[in-house]
Amino acid sequence: MSPGTPHADPARPAHRHRTRYLALLTAAAVALPLGLTACGGDDDKQSADPNRKIELQVFWWGGPARAENTQKVLDLYTQKHPNVTFKIEQQPNAGYFDKLATRAAGGNAPDIFQLDDGSLAEYAKRNVTLDLTKYVKNNKIDTKDIPKGLIDYGIVDGKNAGIAAAQNTPGMIYDKTVAQQYGLEEPKVGWSWEQMIAWGEQLSQKSGGQVQGIMDPSADYKALWLWLRQQDKELYTPDGKVAVSTEDVTRWFELWVDARKRKATPTADLIHTANTGDVSKQLVVTKQAGASFLWSNQLAELQKSTKNTLGVSAYPGDPKGQFARASLYWAGSRTTKEPDTVADVINFIVNDPDAAKIQGVERGLPSNLKNREIVAPTLSAPEKATVALESELNSKFGKAPPVPPKGHVKLRSELITAAETVQYGKATPQQAAEDFLAKAKAAVSG
Amino acid sequence: MAVSAAVGPGRAGSTGKARRARWREGPAGYVFLSPFLLGFMGITAIPMLYSLYLSFTNYELLGQTYDWVGLRNYRDLFTNDPQFWHAVQVTVLFAFVAVPLKLAAALGVAMLLNRERRGTGVLRGLFYLPSLIGGSVAVAIIWRAMFDRTGAFNSLLAVFGVEGKPWVNDPDWALETLMLLAIWQFGAPMVIFLAGLKQVPTELYEAAAVDGAGPWRRFRNITLPMLSPVIFFNLVLETINGFQGFTSAFVLSDGTGGPTDSTLMYSLRLYDQAFTEYKMAYASAMAWVFLLAIGLLTVLLFSTGRLWVHYADEEGA
Amino acid sequence: MAGQALSSPPAPAEAGPPPRRTVREQAIAHARRRRRRAAAVRSVVRLVVILAILAVVLYPALWMVGTSFKAPDEVNSNRGLIPEQFWPANYPDGWTALPSVTFGRFFVNSAVIALATVVANCFSCLVAAYAFARLRFPLRGMWFAIMIATLLLPSHVLLVPQYVLFNYFGWINTPLPLIVPKLLATEAFFIFLMVQFMRGIPRELDEAAKIDGCSAYGIFWHVILPLSRPALVTTAIFSFIWTWNDFLTQLVYLSGVENYTIPVGLRMFQDSGGENQIGPMFAMAVLSLLPVFLFFVAFQRLLVQGINTTGLKG
Repeated sequence: MSPGTPHADPARPAHRHRTRYLALLTAAAVALPLGLTACGGDDDKQSADPNRKIELQVFWWGGPARAENTQKVLDLYTQKHPNVTFKIEQQPNAGYFDKLATRAAGGNAPDIFQLDDGSLAEYAKRNVTLDLTKYVKNNKIDTKDIPKGLIDYGIVDGKNAGIAAAQNTPGMIYDKTVAQQYGLEEPKVGWSWEQMIAWGEQLSQKSGGQVQGIMDPSADYKALWLWLRQQDKELYTPDGKVAVSTEDVTRWFELWVDARKRKATPTADLIHTANTGDVSKQLVVTKQAGASFLWSNQLAELQKSTKNTLGVSAYPGDPKGQFARASLYWAGSRTTKEPDTVADVINFIVNDPDAAKIQGVERGLPSNLKNREIVAPTLSAPEKATVALESELNSKFGKAPPVPPKGHVKLRSELITAAETVQYGKATPQQAAEDFLAKAKAAVSG
Repeated sequence: MAVSAAVGPGRAGSTGKARRARWREGPAGYVFLSPFLLGFMGITAIPMLYSLYLSFTNYELLGQTYDWVGLRNYRDLFTNDPQFWHAVQVTVLFAFVAVPLKLAAALGVAMLLNRERRGTGVLRGLFYLPSLIGGSVAVAIIWRAMFDRTGAFNSLLAVFGVEGKPWVNDPDWALETLMLLAIWQFGAPMVIFLAGLKQVPTELYEAAAVDGAGPWRRFRNITLPMLSPVIFFNLVLETINGFQGFTSAFVLSDGTGGPTDSTLMYSLRLYDQAFTEYKMAYASAMAWVFLLAIGLLTVLLFSTGRLWVHYADEEGA
Repeated sequence: MAGQALSSPPAPAEAGPPPRRTVREQAIAHARRRRRRAAAVRSVVRLVVILAILAVVLYPALWMVGTSFKAPDEVNSNRGLIPEQFWPANYPDGWTALPSVTFGRFFVNSAVIALATVVANCFSCLVAAYAFARLRFPLRGMWFAIMIATLLLPSHVLLVPQYVLFNYFGWINTPLPLIVPKLLATEAFFIFLMVQFMRGIPRELDEAAKIDGCSAYGIFWHVILPLSRPALVTTAIFSFIWTWNDFLTQLVYLSGVENYTIPVGLRMFQDSGGENQIGPMFAMAVLSLLPVFLFFVAFQRLLVQGINTTGLKG
């Protein structure tokens, strides 16, 4: 490039700016880590007036229905506690964690925010979330009507990092209309994987290939996880390391290679379109498969996208593999100025019966068992089916695993990549399993 | 040709008189440059330098503490990270195919639309429409619907008796569909070519026509040279954009990098490292490696530009 | 100058035998007629080619419009261009999808930010480009290189440090982080664009103005600014469109649904926990194309008035 004119410049306005901003840079570089380790205000500095005006920032992701519900719930809280108002921040899922992380890193974390089990450990272990243990212990956050497994699923490093906003379980959503059409019985809880694959095979044959069996869940971490738990194995160790072995993953992939050979599942390209879990792309809705593997509470939404009647059942295999999973959490910010109020609001959202009526099952089954009964009459038909399934499974749940460790989201995506290499025939199950484990271990330990 | 045309803004002479001229224009230069300087110093420089600094640490996004680790990130990047190289490969392939094709389409259509007739404006707008749809989430859905197994493209191929593949869902072809998406959006460079074509004085064409020069000779001897600064600009910028491509790849592959990493563009991998794995320092290292590599490429482009770009404001030749 | 290399000396009007001139005139007339016919044919061919390319290029966009009229249960299964069941309800549904704001609010927000960005960019990048293209000052090469370098760093690594910076300034929760950088010429793309355009303006005009007594400022005002219209128009068009489509920075710096812009709004239709929203999303996406499209068609006319350089020579 042009070398420019080589000599000293007369005025140097840049110099002053540079020094000032160098100071800022140093300040920022020091402030960033320090700011976050600043003495955590756990001790109550609020001996102040209990009726002072408080404004809390609440941040969550979701669609319009969730926005409306949550807004109403927060308004209800303000009615009961007029001195507390809320600044609402809600947005679509796309970019939610980018924004949350940026805000938290920038020292501007919201007081209350929504997390899921892919992010709870990430935020808790990085000291972003408020430690709610003392509120759970002294019942400020009332947990007596919440299943213990559900609460435990929000514990990271022995501390309550998030309170389960709702419960859901993996659910296999199948097409009743198609099943009837081709004379197949509807899948039931407790069917084995082999039975389900055979069902898919029959469906494919009887429909002449129009409905290509069932979705191939080899890329679905939930399927792998449940399959492991059904054999009394686990995905993660209690101390947060990868527990699954190469042999297990190889067997898992081989199971589905076999299923694909028998034409019990669709072709690789169709499987790929559904692998990211986007509701609108699920094969049971596009009528290209007779069943898809998702979450039990997504039945209602899927039903809206097809004229066929859909039903929901558990993932195949022994239901003892299932567990009460928190679909979403409410967490507080460690740097919030009003931790007591934050805890109280979380308690309200999760436990208050009126709040439960407003929220329905939009986030999942209410965490509070009593609220489940209150909410039951207000549900639509698909929602009732979901609740029925959950109730049936509730008694059969196995012990809840610990909440997934850091790197869980990466493991999920690496599983998709690995499974797809097998689905596309680019790798053998053994190779893919080895590759997957190497990457998963790197992600989870890092 | 202007052999002395500098690659950057014109070269100043070094005679005494010229040097005094430089000094006289100095203050004015800095006055006009002041918004840029303020913006750079105030808003860009510090974050850039900070990210450079971070690349030598093990800082994690939202991390509490971090230590200096020297060149470890860079070393790991080059020796310990096969997906890094894969992303480089994908990105280079993408840029080398999509950029020239996009520019060719842009120039071709710009020349077709250079006449001012009734409705030319609307025609130009229609060709520009794909660029407007841009990084919208809708475009991913559209593209997948066009190029999957049962999409419109395969219906077209069926007319010719060719059996189609599931292009966008096929790891062997997904990148090509991404390239097609980029090329489809040639409206942006097309507009710039149009603006450049408008700058070519019409007398030149008239003079050449009078002398009996045919359309190809007119193109080669008038259009290309007069348009060369604009061609150069489009080449540099589309190349940079091509290497940096993020939104289309992200939206088309749902952020995953396509079936089995086949569309794992460099910027996607970087974003993934930064925001999904929280490895912000590592991602910063990736960013600076990118800057250096593309910087070198840009310098190369600027140097070779000397040979073929003709600026109207150059003295000599 | 380039012009000289191309024109050859005109046929000398010499005193020759009269028959040759007549023959020559005949030949010229003949050639002219042939050329006009050829030109007419070329026009038709040109039009056909344009329309053919247009059909291919527009198909996806047409598909988008078609899908915006498909019913929710058809959106996934019907792959064709035409909906089986015409479903205009997608449009009002999409418009009123959110309880608290209509989509129109997003249009307004996007428009405000986009227009502010256009003005800011045009002003700041023009003056910076003038400095780079026309003025000589110390360290110009270095600053030019730095300017180009800012184009090269992937923006994701700047997101968090810039957020910290803007937080320090107190600009979070305002649109300032989106606008002020544009006022300060941070979009090197446009600076470079304008530099290239300016270098196409012959220096003789500058010199003529200098002879008339203009300073650097005067040259800018009287010579460069009027002749930079194509560059300004291009910058305006691009600025508008990029801002219209920009997702992440608008998401991070704007808070409260009533402040959100179109890209954020469109992604709201993707979230699970509600109706299948592809139809309404496409409807709103189609609507959001209209302002940009109209903006483009309106402004591209200004590209027509390029430099008129007659009167330059001599």
